[in-house]
Amino acid sequence: MRRLMETIGTLFKAKLAFRLALLYLSVLVLLVVALPWLPLPFLPNELDLSKVFAPPFHWEHYAANRPFHWLGTDALGRDVLVNIVYGARTALMISLPVMLLATGLGLFMGSSAGLFGNHKLRISNARLLLLLPSLVAMAYYTLYVPFQLALLKADMSAYILPTILAFAIPGVLLFIGAPMLMRWDSLKKTTPFPFDHIVLRLIETLTSIPKLIFILVLAAFAPPSLLLLSALLVLTFWTGPARLARGEMLRIKELPYFEAAISSGVTQWQLIWRHAMPNLLAPVAVSFVFGLAALLMIESTLSFLNIGVSTELVSWGRMISGIRANTAAWWLVAFPGAFLSLTVLALQTCSYYLLQASQEKR
Amino acid sequence: MGPYLLKRLLLVIPALWLIASLVFLLSKLMPGTYGSQQLQQSDAGYYSKGDPESREKAFRQYLRKTGQDLPLFYFSVTSLPEPDTLHLIYPETERLFLKRMAWLYGDWTLVSAFYSSLQQLEGSLTATERKSIQPHMHALYQHTRSEQLSSAVDSIASTLAASTDPLRRLQASTHTLLDTREEYAYVLPDFRWHGPDNQYHHWMRHLFEGELGTSYRDGRPVVALLVEAIGNTWWLMFISMGLATLISLELAMLMVRRHGRIWRRSVLPALFFLDSIPLFVLAMLLLVLLASPAFLQLFPVYGMGYYTEVSLSWLQAMNQWLLFMALPMVCLVLANLPYLTNQFYHALAGTASQDYTRTARAKGLSESGVIRRHMLRNALLPIITLLSDFLPALVAGAVIIETIFAIPGIGRLLIDSVMARDYPVMVGIVVLVALFKLLAHLLSDLLYALADPRIRHTAA
Amino acid sequence: MKKLKAAIPLLFLLLSFCNQPERQPDEIRIRLAADISSLNPVSYSELEALQIINLLYNSLLTTDLADNTLKPGLASSMPQVERNDSLTLFTYQIREEAEWANGSPVTGADVAFTLKVLKAPFINNENLSPQVEFIRDIVLNKSNPRQFTVVCTGYTPEMELLTGDFFILPAYLLDPEGLFAGIALPSLADSSIVLRNKGRIQSLADRLNRMGSPGSTELLSGSAGYTLERWAKGQYVTVKRKDNWWGNTTGADGRHLAANPARISFQVIPENTTALLALKNRQLDVLDNIPVTEFVQLNQDKVFLKDYELFSPQGFSLVYAGLNTRTPKLKDKRTRQAIAHLLDVENLIKATQQSYATPTVGPIPPSVKKFYHQNLAPYTFSEQKAMALLKSAGWIKEQNGWFRQLNGKKEQLTLEIIYIAGNTVYEQSALIFQQHAAKAGIPVTVQALESNYFNQKINGRDFDMFFRGISGNPFVFNFKPLFHSTYAGPGGFNTTGFGTPESDALLDAINTAETEADKARLLKKLQAILHEEAAFVSLYYRKEKLAIHRRFSNTKVSGLSPYYDVSSFMLKK
Repeated sequence: MRRLMETIGTLFKAKLAFRLALLYLSVLVLLVVALPWLPLPFLPNELDLSKVFAPPFHWEHYAANRPFHWLGTDALGRDVLVNIVYGARTALMISLPVMLLATGLGLFMGSSAGLFGNHKLRISNARLLLLLPSLVAMAYYTLYVPFQLALLKADMSAYILPTILAFAIPGVLLFIGAPMLMRWDSLKKTTPFPFDHIVLRLIETLTSIPKLIFILVLAAFAPPSLLLLSALLVLTFWTGPARLARGEMLRIKELPYFEAAISSGVTQWQLIWRHAMPNLLAPVAVSFVFGLAALLMIESTLSFLNIGVSTELVSWGRMISGIRANTAAWWLVAFPGAFLSLTVLALQTCSYYLLQASQEKR
Repeated sequence: MGPYLLKRLLLVIPALWLIASLVFLLSKLMPGTYGSQQLQQSDAGYYSKGDPESREKAFRQYLRKTGQDLPLFYFSVTSLPEPDTLHLIYPETERLFLKRMAWLYGDWTLVSAFYSSLQQLEGSLTATERKSIQPHMHALYQHTRSEQLSSAVDSIASTLAASTDPLRRLQASTHTLLDTREEYAYVLPDFRWHGPDNQYHHWMRHLFEGELGTSYRDGRPVVALLVEAIGNTWWLMFISMGLATLISLELAMLMVRRHGRIWRRSVLPALFFLDSIPLFVLAMLLLVLLASPAFLQLFPVYGMGYYTEVSLSWLQAMNQWLLFMALPMVCLVLANLPYLTNQFYHALAGTASQDYTRTARAKGLSESGVIRRHMLRNALLPIITLLSDFLPALVAGAVIIETIFAIPGIGRLLIDSVMARDYPVMVGIVVLVALFKLLAHLLSDLLYALADPRIRHTAA
Repeated sequence: MKKLKAAIPLLFLLLSFCNQPERQPDEIRIRLAADISSLNPVSYSELEALQIINLLYNSLLTTDLADNTLKPGLASSMPQVERNDSLTLFTYQIREEAEWANGSPVTGADVAFTLKVLKAPFINNENLSPQVEFIRDIVLNKSNPRQFTVVCTGYTPEMELLTGDFFILPAYLLDPEGLFAGIALPSLADSSIVLRNKGRIQSLADRLNRMGSPGSTELLSGSAGYTLERWAKGQYVTVKRKDNWWGNTTGADGRHLAANPARISFQVIPENTTALLALKNRQLDVLDNIPVTEFVQLNQDKVFLKDYELFSPQGFSLVYAGLNTRTPKLKDKRTRQAIAHLLDVENLIKATQQSYATPTVGPIPPSVKKFYHQNLAPYTFSEQKAMALLKSAGWIKEQNGWFRQLNGKKEQLTLEIIYIAGNTVYEQSALIFQQHAAKAGIPVTVQALESNYFNQKINGRDFDMFFRGISGNPFVFNFKPLFHSTYAGPGGFNTTGFGTPESDALLDAINTAETEADKARLLKKLQAILHEEAAFVSLYYRKEKLAIHRRFSNTKVSGLSPYYDVSSFMLKK
């Protein structure tokens, strides 16, 4: 951590672009944090029907001491500037964590799949035997029952028992049932667990079904709020980093120093951390930044396809999609789009220099 | 190499089966069916085009005709209180109410007794009486907690004042329902066997016969629809993918040069800027700039060509096709360029500091020689991964481009079929895309093995 | 490589100078908003297909868009109506000139065949069969093959329209073996007779079901003025005028039947913005449903107006807000009236339709002057009135909203508005209402729903309030399905649950009213009740917005769908 801070410090002094990008990002974060105390003249969802599609920079309409739409308004007179600021908050609070989560999950799944392969991970027959009923129970109580309860609009209290059972039954089976079964020798034996196969099939399945289908199916059940969408994206986006990580692991495993290091007592995870991660960082960082941009835009794209996302959530995507009602209102795309570009660019610049610095060090 | 290839090919089949089954079942979980959507569309109007009962009848007849009234799978795991006759109850809203009752109170016989007494009461009322208890009935139909039920029944009783037979029966059945309620009966699963006469079985059988079924909307075979849609976009996707790959490789090689700083400085930010424009805005922008009288009117706005009375020669046809496809192509290339260029650049840059690059440079090879002969070769792995990810896009289409430029491709077909609940088409598309995906993965693994022989052993 | 790169832009430049395909001036290009899956006159599923099928097939009656009235189409005059106690008889006479594509005359037997197709099993007629459910039998006149009588159960005012509303199919082409000629219409409901003929009916049904899909268009041939020329699925449908069509030889009473343009080409363009650009690019001749902001901009575009004429006829599509009277909180009509006072129709129109809409008090269009209740005033926006009404309904204003004791529990007045996702007009209306309601102290949530999900909620009566449109017409007003309490059950068309014994009696009386004056009086009374109850809050009638190229005259622009009669278009000299 300290080394990272030092690197940032030296880069900050040396590189102008890095300084600018970092400054921009910190200002953005500061703005978002200070949002409740900012003296903004409008609320993001406040309508002003007397000023619909007001163009930006119309100084002649400016009256002293009256709130004024600096960057114009949209179809219902919502202020573009205020929406940009609030949209930054949504971007930071929802989109960023989603991408981090998805990337983390992908790196973990991919590198373990590559590391363990199909043979390295061994599991006792007893556990293997009980794994199937545990998974069925898990699916029943975490998927079927809550789903049906939501469909039937059941009370919150109805969810408690299924949730407990969802973890209790597999727990009992695997950690109490399995040791009991181990009395028999044939069940005590271990068989290799095809972890790589399972992860690969999972990736194949998830990437084969177009994301749009997932979203459309979701929309058929419940109005797709950005939160639900985000959960969906975490579950589908991890496959990219996972494939990259798996490929890298396969490569590293063949390198001569890997075997040597293992025999000298270094744990596998340490090896991954030290040798695989640095190589992985560059492609993963690129896909991270691009994924973030896609996530920030997904709302406007969905509304283009007439799949409504909750209209009350303030976001850059919502504002951009307003261009469809009036193609002459360029400011609805230009300003939020510019902020989006700047944010992505700043993130990219930061990651670029940090990566470069870490590569130089090696 | 041969046995490995065969093994991988055989592995494709179960994976494909798994994906197809998953999507089939997933799609059937969606509420609403093709028929119900169609029948509901024509409801609004200032006179009735058929009363609800005859529409209901027509709809059920339709379901029977298309086999959609069969159970979904060989077996079902439902919660214990849910009866297996539930799917026969129409309309669907009534079914949902009964299901909720069953889940809430845990005993189907009591619930159905309650329901029949409720229907008897409703039948015995005059219009005025029915109107007077309407809000309580609504509360009853919408209730989610048991105390709401008792209060709704009490309010009905007090509103109706005169105690009639049906009312007394309703009160009695409510009491037994509430007294013997088994609150958490729904956590117990119930396994039911349906036998081979189910929707999944029939669908699978057709699939093995090489049939993906027929579309609900126009009754044509799904395969024909898919072939037609792919035919419309295949060359468009192919050429634009190829162009995007070529351009991004060239750009990446320019940037990775030792003196390519100026390129890095200018191209990377430009690409990020390009990437943060949503695709539909980009397409509209191009349309406004290049296909409208306001700026330059170079290209037609939409479609794939017009109807002409005389048939065109192949040169003319291709000419026309290129003219119509130019803008979609530019859009697709621009949309894919940023991501591809960046990944290629990073893959190449990763090899720049390696020993063999230094050796090659020390040998005095020219800059482009070093890049093309040594760096590119060693950066092949990630490039292959990336490209194999793009292969399925050839058949998956591009929804937004297709929508804006009015090209009837697969993406559009997918959206339309999901919106209309045309399940056979929807599942057919997913199966096709999955097949391409699996083949692409296979191909990339093969190329991996060719590019880096060390991997062959472990992958096999 | 460098050379190649230089060559690509050059190639494009070269291509762009190649001329765009020539086209004849009397070919009309029209935009279709959605792809068509079938042109089958029995089982078409998209409304867009209707316009094309109308050019291929005739029905007995037709709407003349020049004056928005019902006129005889294939029939030579409006039917003679005879009402017995439980039956209604409609006697039609088919035009002497009417003939099929092969020259044989259109007869009553063809109508009988069509009705059998609409009611037979195994045929995909689910969409249309409920519409002819009331037709019990058809009696052919033995001496005059062009005359026949349709026997219907009961009587409703729309029956005349519905008996003449379906497309007449040629029996000679579709049933050459004459299978249906041997089976009477009522016996198609008899399962034993159907079972006996099952194999033959099934094979006929297979033929009929295949007809009109993009692969099999050879059987698509009707009595109207056009034949299908080319159908490129997903791209365009082109129809060609028949030579010497019989309709052009009819006299004065058939002048509304026409087939003027030599070729009509329907272009599938799903995206609105693209269609607009295509119009500006002169690639389209007719475009309807233009978004209002664009319409206003086009109206100021001098270059565009040189080539195109813009029309905004008063339409018959009503936008309304539905309130669920079944919910305890909206049971009191004063609460609903308060909500109606918060709807601010004036601003809704201004924000979503600019000036292209007419506010209305009820479901009768203001343009139908004889039935419209002029003396009622639409609800005006007033926070004070709304608050006063809420107070009188027993709500008590507290710091964070309106509360009421209900069954011993404190209940807050909150609303959830639902609408179909993707419709910006409803979305904006809901947001405007939300702002006004919030000022009056009512928290409102706005929810866009996918259309299936929306319908499910509406049919399950699981909603507080919704915005929706309904397509009306100027000739038939049977409001029974919309407002009668027998239709209020789950799945019925009376979604709001409106209905009092008084209004029920009124609705029955409207349908049996003998004179126009009676009918007007009753309809006005109904409007007054609807206004008072405020469950079905009519907001406004939209004006349609379309553009047509100036080289055409006789366009018959109307507020009724499809808003113009393309078959009557004529080139200006």
